[in-house]
Amino acid sequence: MHAAAALLEFANVAYRYPGGNSGLAGCSLAIEAGTRNALIGANGAGKTTLFQHANGLLRPNAGIVRYRGQLIGYGREGLRQLRSEVGLLFQNPDQQLFSASVREDVAFGPLNLGLDAATVRRRVDEALHAVGMDDFSDRPVHSLSFGQKKRVCIAGVLAMQPRLLVLDEPMAGLDHAMRGDLLRVLDELHARGVTLLLATHDIDFAYAWADRIHVLAAGVCVASCASTELPRHAELLTGCGLRVPAVIRLCGALARNGLAFGNGAEPRSVDALVGLIDQEKES
Amino acid sequence: MLVDRYAYSNRWRAASPEAKATFAAGGFIAAFGAGRPSAALTVAVVMALVTIGGARVPLTVWLRVAVAPLGFLLVGMLSLVFSVDAVGDGALSLRWLPDGWEPVFRLGTRSIAALSALLFLALTTPLLDIVALLRRLRVPATLLDLMVLCYRTLFVLTDAAQAMRTAQAARLGYATARGTFNSLGLLLANLTVQVWERSRAMQRAAQSRNGDGAWRFLEHDGAMPHRELALALSGAVLLVAYAFGNP
Ligand SMILES: Nc1ncnc2c1ncn2[C@@H]1O[C@H](COP(=O)(O)OP(=O)(O)OP(=O)(O)O)[C@@H](O)[C@H]1O
Ligand SMILES: [Mg+2]
Repeated sequence: MHAAAALLEFANVAYRYPGGNSGLAGCSLAIEAGTRNALIGANGAGKTTLFQHANGLLRPNAGIVRYRGQLIGYGREGLRQLRSEVGLLFQNPDQQLFSASVREDVAFGPLNLGLDAATVRRRVDEALHAVGMDDFSDRPVHSLSFGQKKRVCIAGVLAMQPRLLVLDEPMAGLDHAMRGDLLRVLDELHARGVTLLLATHDIDFAYAWADRIHVLAAGVCVASCASTELPRHAELLTGCGLRVPAVIRLCGALARNGLAFGNGAEPRSVDALVGLIDQEKES
Repeated sequence: MLVDRYAYSNRWRAASPEAKATFAAGGFIAAFGAGRPSAALTVAVVMALVTIGGARVPLTVWLRVAVAPLGFLLVGMLSLVFSVDAVGDGALSLRWLPDGWEPVFRLGTRSIAALSALLFLALTTPLLDIVALLRRLRVPATLLDLMVLCYRTLFVLTDAAQAMRTAQAARLGYATARGTFNSLGLLLANLTVQVWERSRAMQRAAQSRNGDGAWRFLEHDGAMPHRELALALSGAVLLVAYAFGNP
């Protein structure tokens, strides 16, 4: 692949938890700069473990992690550098929030970057606005609902303005409107050149949204492909206990019954397919 | 967390913590200065009335929060009222009121006044505001970090304990006396593990956002609320003057 252009690269990374559980077992995958990446895999496949390696929270037992072509340094300065550029959203908001008030928690990262108070204040306000939590800035964290906590976590990472944003199941627990809002925030970040990597169990969403899809199974990355190629990996998905996106199955069924649409361009969401069908009927 | 809930929802939530702390401090000094039990009681009642009437904390809430410390106070006073003496060959004699009622009353009413002043602050000012105030007063950062951490951990732990209890109850963990003991034991054991896990998770969370152990905070950028402060200060001075005027 285009190893030279990879922003973040895992090569044969293996990690065993202190208790002896295997977290990753020789996982290799590359994230290219400026792309939208979705990581999918069943429960316990190792998504969270992999993400903690991206941010230097875990150190591989074997294998290497490269960021911008350089081996990650696990010294104080190396980690400081890495963590100022790679933002990590935790899967469980209660694990991420430790300050008592919303504003304080969002300010934590930017303050650690050594920014001046005015800049920090501006970034905190922007980040809280982006996740629709302006009105909650002085609330104590424990008085928020799960989804609200999740939004605060997202704001806390956004405020650091990372170059690579790693999100562990960001949509889980968010309502429909908030998912839309979050997607808009992600689109905006993507337009600004931020690289995105997110783990999700929503395969339909992953297929519609991502440029590249990485499939994790039992601690190994079993497939890394452009989303457009996903239909050719349908068996692999089922083999890993994952579902094939609904729109792929629909298109397959349509094609089998001689009802092909949109001259070869494969729709990546049910909405897109519906659009194609309606178009077909008009013409 | 009754105190916390009202600290956030009382009518004076937005008033400056400086003003509220000044008034509470006035109540404290008055409590120590008041010699006569009646004067101390007056201070206690004034502080309670301001909390209930001014900040609109319901009387029932005030009483519920006060009942535990008052209970401790009562026990403490009882030990002053009785005195146990050893007489001769290992026998004990119980004596009623070694030094009379006067000092006991004096101490008791002063404590109640001090408690009432403390409750005024606790029920009108969220802990976070108090911490921010202390930070502005240049209290050592380590101490404040510890306060904040304890505060957050308190909620994380009660949440965890509550969630576990609910989960156990939902599966009949408390249906029998035997089961109750069993479930409680499990809950305690798991809570210990959770405390450990939580502390590790918190550290990891801090690390992931470049935390290096030092906590940095945004400075407060509001203007000094002179009017509120003046009001609180005059209230405090009045109280203190009254207390010292009734030695
Ligand atoms: N703290 C831990 N201690 C020991 N083993 C762990 C720990 N965390 C995860 N594991 C193990 O490592 C493996 C990978 O877990 P991981 O959390 O990375 O999965 P995941 O893909 O994020 O799953 P999910 O979709 O449920 O979040 C699992 O088998 C799990 O049991
Ligand atoms: Mg996970």
